Amino acid sequence: MAAAAKNRADRVLSFRMRIGLTMILVMLMVLGGRLFHVQGLDPAGHAQAAVSERLRSVPLPAHRGDILDAQDRVLATSVDRYDLVVDQQVVDDFVRRDESTQLREEVPVETGIAELSEVLDMDIETLTERVIGEDRYSVVARSLIPQESEQATEIGIPGLYAEPVSERSYPSGSVAGSIIGFMGSDGPLEGVEAAQDEALSGTDGERIFEVGGDGIRIPVATFEEIPAEDGQDIRLTIDQDLQWFAQEAIAKKSNQYNAAWGNATVVDLTSGEILAMADSETVDPSDPGSSDELFRRPLALTQAFEPGSTGKAITFAMALEEGTLNPTDSFTVDNRYEIDGQTISDATRHPTLDMTAAGIFARSYNTGTVMIGSEVPEDTRYDYMQQVGIGEAIDIGVGAETSGELRPPEEWDARQHLTTQFGQGYTTSVLHNLQTFQAMTNGGVSVPLRVIDSYIDADGTEHPMETEAEERIFSEETSEQMLRMFEGVVDYGTATDAAVAGYRVGGKTGIAEAAGASGGFDGHTQSFIGVAPLDDPKYLVSVTVHRPQGYWRDWEVTSTFREIMSYVLSSYDVAPSGAKSEAYDGFEGENQDQPW
Amino acid sequence: MSAVAHSMPPAVHGSLAHSHSLPARPEGDTSESRVAVLRALPKLKQRQKSLIGAVIALLALALSLVLAVNIHVANSQYEVVQLQNEQRTLEQSNQALTEQVQHLESPQALSSAAVGLGMVMPAEAAAFDIGSGEVTGSAEAADNGDRPSSFVATPAAPGADAAAPLNVSESVTGAPSGILGSGALNTLINPPSGQNGQQDSVQTRSEFSSTELNGGTIPAPSFD
Repeated sequence: MAAAAKNRADRVLSFRMRIGLTMILVMLMVLGGRLFHVQGLDPAGHAQAAVSERLRSVPLPAHRGDILDAQDRVLATSVDRYDLVVDQQVVDDFVRRDESTQLREEVPVETGIAELSEVLDMDIETLTERVIGEDRYSVVARSLIPQESEQATEIGIPGLYAEPVSERSYPSGSVAGSIIGFMGSDGPLEGVEAAQDEALSGTDGERIFEVGGDGIRIPVATFEEIPAEDGQDIRLTIDQDLQWFAQEAIAKKSNQYNAAWGNATVVDLTSGEILAMADSETVDPSDPGSSDELFRRPLALTQAFEPGSTGKAITFAMALEEGTLNPTDSFTVDNRYEIDGQTISDATRHPTLDMTAAGIFARSYNTGTVMIGSEVPEDTRYDYMQQVGIGEAIDIGVGAETSGELRPPEEWDARQHLTTQFGQGYTTSVLHNLQTFQAMTNGGVSVPLRVIDSYIDADGTEHPMETEAEERIFSEETSEQMLRMFEGVVDYGTATDAAVAGYRVGGKTGIAEAAGASGGFDGHTQSFIGVAPLDDPKYLVSVTVHRPQGYWRDWEVTSTFREIMSYVLSSYDVAPSGAKSEAYDGFEGENQDQPW
Repeated sequence: MSAVAHSMPPAVHGSLAHSHSLPARPEGDTSESRVAVLRALPKLKQRQKSLIGAVIALLALALSLVLAVNIHVANSQYEVVQLQNEQRTLEQSNQALTEQVQHLESPQALSSAAVGLGMVMPAEAAAFDIGSGEVTGSAEAADNGDRPSSFVATPAAPGADAAAPLNVSESVTGAPSGILGSGALNTLINPPSGQNGQQDSVQTRSEFSSTELNGGTIPAPSFD
């Protein structure tokens, strides 16, 4: 009977237990369902809102790339600096441990500020203004070196802390300054820094994590890290030493004639690499405000001027190419020439001479040039000038290029039909002139000029800069003939000072009239573009001086050319050949020594 | 149904729990209190003791292991912080030194250093062919007074006060459109006032008295 009772009790008990368990299960299910509803389905968006409250995103700054010269010397780099920032609302008298006595001392704010002014070398009033106030964020000092910023924060003023910033440093100052460019307060402003900003700055990374109410990161929650992609280094074709040498040389020449500006540019004519682009005054990228605005950009790119007699080279080259001229053709040249109702005269009153085309070129006679140039139809002339790039902008990767000005023949006035044959009536920049000469001296093949050599990734992979294709403009024969005519200029023509002992050198001088603001000519541009060594042409050097003062006969830029070209030839290990000149004879007959 | 305690015979190790040595039941006694009682407990007591002991020991070991790991981690964190500080200091001093080196390697600094050592600009150089012995050109001795020009200013030393960043907006207002601003146009039209109108800074070498030089170009090392 007891067993039966026990069984019944058991059953009742287990029944109650079952009911209890079921109730608990039901409640758990309700709870679970509610949890799913709130967290999973989330119709009111509370869960999402909570996540976004917790989520923090910290940018990982990318390291900006360096700018290097052709031999990997650093032209521009980033350095770590600190901005001293203070939360003014927290600034108050504070307590710190004295170093010598190891006792805690109370320090009033004024003493702290006095010590800070010593460390920062600022006067106390300015400092007090910046430190005392109601702002939550006030900058006390910018761009401190780490040592200074440590000293400043060690003083112990509450609320004063150092924010790391990255600053650009230019170790060589104004050497290649306008090419490198500089930074403004918001970002790069000019030069390679600005034009290649995308490649240099890379991509910032991001670190995403969740923080709890106390501000500490929740270890098991979301943690994503996208690493920063550092910027690429850029290697230029500029040679820092040559750039400095050329800057010194052209500054000396511009200073000698008190010119508005001067420029010396060196180009490797087989590859189109610009080895130096030197201005008489150049901006120092660490202090761009102190430099005149004109010199903040490379003058070889921004300044368009009438090239003058260096523009005769293209006229002769196209006459040779078209077959209307041979270098030894003879002409009778007077110092005045009348054609189409216009009178063309030469710079000097020379007697009537029987000369060859090479002689006319060597002595840079306008009259002879017009005789030769008129044989070529105007449209053909215009076509050649366009082919070498006159009138079109040249992009070398620095930005700020000018296109010069070349109007089509229909728009030329009565004189321009003639003056364009000897380099007046259109404008070009230094790079346009070099590009023209490069085509003539490189066997007739035009290679686009560039200043950027390659991009180097953070891991060392190099990406050479892509350039446009080479273009053949003149034949090899024309190029050889032009080289010999250039040699004549240096041998017995207007540029005998340009000769470099031991090498065969050629080139072309130019004095052009420069137009003033009012429209008339009120100045000159003196230039010389030379090539060496003529046995195997490698380097082009162009020297230009704009608006020199004084008497025009006194001006010469060939000495600067000689300095720079000798430097180039010796530092790039070009052996002197000591070979004899192959210039054409300038004059008919035996007597080559004719009066000027 | 309570278990009935009986006087126990000596334990036998390893034997299965058996109920044995039951007292003889009187005939006809059907009370349930006579149900056999398992005597497993006394036999297992020792084993359980060691088992419990082992478990406790294991627990203690695990806890002490965790404690040791935590202590190590905490100590290492101090080390990590210290090393991070060291690394930061080293990186900063490395960067400062690199900046100094770059400054000293700049062409202007090299030129000044060369002038300070008494070097001068070279004159004409000749070249000779090593194979044939031919001399090309004619060599000239350098002029003692021919110093390099220094139109290009020496860059600011690293760590010097930084210049204020260029505020372009100031110069933009009122500037004519085109590739150049008003400042540049001004320079082109008006006479130059910048460097081009001034003399270059003359480089001087350190002055030595003639007794110090003793006919040479730099003083000889001395004992004082």
